[in-house]
Amino acid sequence: MAIAWTGLAAHVTAPPAVPSVFGGSANVIAVLVLLLEFGMFRQALLRDQIRLYAAQSAAVSVLAVIVAAAKNVPELYVLAALSAALKVVIVPLVMRRVLRGADEEIAGSGTLGVATTVLLAIAVGAFGFFTVGTLGIADVAPGTAQVARPHHAGSFDGTGAAPPETALGLAMAVVLVAFVLMIVRRDVVSQAIGFFTLENGVSLAALVIAAHMPLILEVAFLFDLLVAVVVFGVLIRVHHGRGQSLSTAELTRLRG
Amino acid sequence: MASGALPIPVIQELQVVTVAAAAPGVSGVIAKVEARLQGRRGPRILQPYYDLAKLCRKEALAPEGASWFFLAAPLVAVTCYLTVPLLIPVLTSYPLPLGYMGDILGGGFILALASFVVAVAALETGSPYAQMGSSRAKTFGAIAEPVVLFVVFTVALVTGTDLPYALAATVRSSAGQIVRPAHLLASAALFMVILYETGRIPVETHTGTNEFGMIEEARPFEHSGPYFALLKWGSAMKQLILFTILLNVFVAPWGLAATARPGDVVVAIAALAGKAIALGVVIAVIDNSFAKLRLFKITEFAAGAFLLAVLGVFTLYLGGG
Repeated sequence: MAIAWTGLAAHVTAPPAVPSVFGGSANVIAVLVLLLEFGMFRQALLRDQIRLYAAQSAAVSVLAVIVAAAKNVPELYVLAALSAALKVVIVPLVMRRVLRGADEEIAGSGTLGVATTVLLAIAVGAFGFFTVGTLGIADVAPGTAQVARPHHAGSFDGTGAAPPETALGLAMAVVLVAFVLMIVRRDVVSQAIGFFTLENGVSLAALVIAAHMPLILEVAFLFDLLVAVVVFGVLIRVHHGRGQSLSTAELTRLRG
Repeated sequence: MASGALPIPVIQELQVVTVAAAAPGVSGVIAKVEARLQGRRGPRILQPYYDLAKLCRKEALAPEGASWFFLAAPLVAVTCYLTVPLLIPVLTSYPLPLGYMGDILGGGFILALASFVVAVAALETGSPYAQMGSSRAKTFGAIAEPVVLFVVFTVALVTGTDLPYALAATVRSSAGQIVRPAHLLASAALFMVILYETGRIPVETHTGTNEFGMIEEARPFEHSGPYFALLKWGSAMKQLILFTILLNVFVAPWGLAATARPGDVVVAIAALAGKAIALGVVIAVIDNSFAKLRLFKITEFAAGAFLLAVLGVFTLYLGGG
């Protein structure tokens, strides 16, 4: 038994590289964002879909706070507050207001079943995930995560170099899965929400790899989103006004 | 070894005895909590034991035309369920000698064998309910099994072995191990599999009368007397075994005995019972807060668990999980 125990202890004392607590929690939130993206496939009610979007945006805002604390970038607190106000409160409010006119509550069913869509999205997301892995963008290779690089020692504020590769891969997966959502769903609202979540994926990637990006750029992105919301709002209104439905299935003719 | 320590084989046997003896009690507590949450008084906590005792006194009947396998199946299944506690950390944080008989996958295979044997016995009967139950169990099992495989892959990637003891020790080693996404995802996927395997609410109603949604509960329909008691006891043991794997390997591998002293072992037994009851309360709350999924939506539930497990492996693959 003693031999067995020491044999096991050898495994236990030298486990493969463990991400730091910051890296781990950042990755957990990235995974959460991706899971919420997958949750949208399951959601049939438009209201619940908007709620999921709000939850996803909240997760991204929390990640901004974590990055701000870990990397010591105070501007990110401002960004977190702004993105929470805009994406968790204002955008869902606007979307709900837009939907109030339409009497439809149930999203047009997708072209595929839920389980099939999820499996398809897993494959597409995996493609994005592993593509990022092979690109070698990340500055820290897997397995050397614990080794703090000298030029990063300052910026990471003693928390150790967190490998952004996983979170970046997850952000890529979020973007691609959002595309799947937009392609598979046949109603304007789901497609709009898919577009908004795509923006969440992009801001996730921005937070992970470019935390020191100037605040003005990030805020500009947020206002871009606001423009998109207004455009989609108008689009949804007009579409519903013309066709008395939110479904895009009838949009088969191209008009000049 | 310190004086007054229990011999290791005794602890090894105690793991089996603990699971076998405590399993109906855990079912009883869950039933009680569930009833309280619904505003009923509920059965006594010891009711499952009385049920087993009553069934053991009854006559055993077999349907006409059923072969010897029908009666052998409950015995084989219970043997399987009594074997698995030898392989997993039930009471001790250090591996016991027979823990090396099989890894976490081996334990999974033995559980699958038990379920297969029960399904074949159900086919023997010619009763439509039992056959429907076993057919469904195998259909959805085809989606639930890969989830278990991916959870095992996660364990293998995290620890470099696939021994449940190694993962438990890794989880105990640091806080970073707990918040890493792969661990959380694998634990969540395993929890969903447990809901499926123990026949809890998003998948099927655990208690109640005959209905078309039955899966696990329908299989022992034709068994009676002591054989039925063995099957019921077996499914209670399966539940506690799955709880133990989730708790002592993934979620809360604390409170296990680090030595062979009797006091530590007793504490470990109490801790296991406490943790299993806490998990049972969580499951009872889930039971009361969700509706049963339609039969064709169960694939969505399984696809969700599969998604979690696959994401766990993905995040590990790039070294950041």
